Amino acid sequence: MPFSKLLHFFLIFMIVVVCGSCGSGDSGPSSRGSTSGAGTPTSPAVSGNNVMVITVNGSLCSSNSYANKSCVSVTICIPGTSTCQTIDGILLDTGDSGLRIFKQAISVSLIQVTSGSNPVAECIQYADGSSVWGPVKLAGVVLGNETAVQVPIQVIDYTFAGAPAACSGAYQTPVDAGYNGSLGLSFFAQDCGSVCASSAGNGVYFACSGATCSGVTVPLSNQVQNPVALLPVDNNGVIVQLPSIPASGATSASGYLILGIGTQSNNVPSAVMAYSADASGNFITIFNGSNYSGFIDTGSNGLFFPSPSTSTLPDCAAPASAWYCPSATRNLTATNEGTTGVPSGAVAFQIGNFDTLLTSSNNVFPDIGGNNAGVFDWGLPFYFGRNVYIGIEGKVSSLGSGLYWAY
Amino acid sequence: MVLLTLAEQAHAILGEAVDSVESDRKALTAVRGAVTTRSGYTIHEISTATTVVREYISPAGIVFAIAWNGIIHPDLTGLLGRYAGEYEEALRQTPRKQGRRQLMVKANRVVVEKWGHIRDLRGRAYAPDLIPSGVSINAIQ
Repeated sequence: MPFSKLLHFFLIFMIVVVCGSCGSGDSGPSSRGSTSGAGTPTSPAVSGNNVMVITVNGSLCSSNSYANKSCVSVTICIPGTSTCQTIDGILLDTGDSGLRIFKQAISVSLIQVTSGSNPVAECIQYADGSSVWGPVKLAGVVLGNETAVQVPIQVIDYTFAGAPAACSGAYQTPVDAGYNGSLGLSFFAQDCGSVCASSAGNGVYFACSGATCSGVTVPLSNQVQNPVALLPVDNNGVIVQLPSIPASGATSASGYLILGIGTQSNNVPSAVMAYSADASGNFITIFNGSNYSGFIDTGSNGLFFPSPSTSTLPDCAAPASAWYCPSATRNLTATNEGTTGVPSGAVAFQIGNFDTLLTSSNNVFPDIGGNNAGVFDWGLPFYFGRNVYIGIEGKVSSLGSGLYWAY
Repeated sequence: MVLLTLAEQAHAILGEAVDSVESDRKALTAVRGAVTTRSGYTIHEISTATTVVREYISPAGIVFAIAWNGIIHPDLTGLLGRYAGEYEEALRQTPRKQGRRQLMVKANRVVVEKWGHIRDLRGRAYAPDLIPSGVSINAIQ
């Protein structure tokens, strides 16, 4: 065995050993089958220091606890040192900004971010009413084979100081959430932005004295933020590449997250149109004759949009009533527009019967969705068979200035 | 002047009279916003640094729905008033769905929905029995 292969083997061994000591979430529920199914569609190989592997319900996911879960592996280090650990089971979430990792999965020491002498903590609420709570700490973060960036992340720890009411039901363990952490790579540079830098009553950031936590302003540089925006070169956005998935689903899938847009030979935009987003992070989606705020989010595990009619897209029976169960697979079309009305492009998609699809042993589906009262949420199925570019705010590429999606 | 008077009265709790309370605004340390008249109802808007809350008022002066958007969801306990208890109970019985980015909680007399994404969390709550005839639920956004 050549030395390089030995080294490769050794590195893999090290990663396995390190994660074996940190991944208490690895024992998450595997209620869904994963031993048989329609194989693992894989994107054409891409290489470079700016490339990270994505698996959808594959080897990088700590469990198959839910369908259409996109996972990556991230290395965190004691800031300024080479003392690091690699953690898998990290949800790739383009609907959030910043790295959040459960305390149970972290074995390296990180540096507490403070306001005055008090530790800063954060309550992040998700759209579904779930939440995470815990201190903001500085970490060295390594994405792919890029150089480490020093960036504030959130350590998810429901026991930290005293959580505010909005986080009283925060996730407690990786099993609760279904992952060890999440890597937020939305086009926002920080998770909160200017409101949290100017208003103490922002409801997101808190400074804690003992068990008492009070709202606090936090400068942008101390907020939890998108680590890609801090990279020396590949900092203007990312590309998510995932393969096409058969309508009946697949066991798992594998693709790539490429850092930077037009910064290296492997991330030059090709045959895509850029759709600008507004300050709230939405573009326009026209569906069934109505205009909706639309967004594209790997962290949503289906396509969620208002049902055109209960005959076309009825809800499934309980307990899956949040999903659609049409009597036959529906072929549908929506039109996405940039916030200025241009460009405008139709998107064809399918919605199948969730209950029927989930009776298979597959975990990855391009055609599952459910009702959403007021917005068009293009979740992970949108990414299958596409290269989706995400342009970070304040950064420029040949596709324009962020905020934008291009595909 | 008339608008100001209406706005001062506008900040009410689901299911209660529009002139009954200003506690929402005070609790949220909010700023009064626009009053919009639509066919069959009126919308009163209050804003904080983080969230805009819209209250939907029937011709009889009853708050039949609220909707919001912002960087956080508002504390619903105060806004839901008499419905808060049954909402909390129904929420406890609504299984958490990993991977989902929206929520619908149906109690006997109130429906609460949440959706959106980071920096743009949205939702609405309404009492189906109080919605004026001819007003679509889709109007509550």
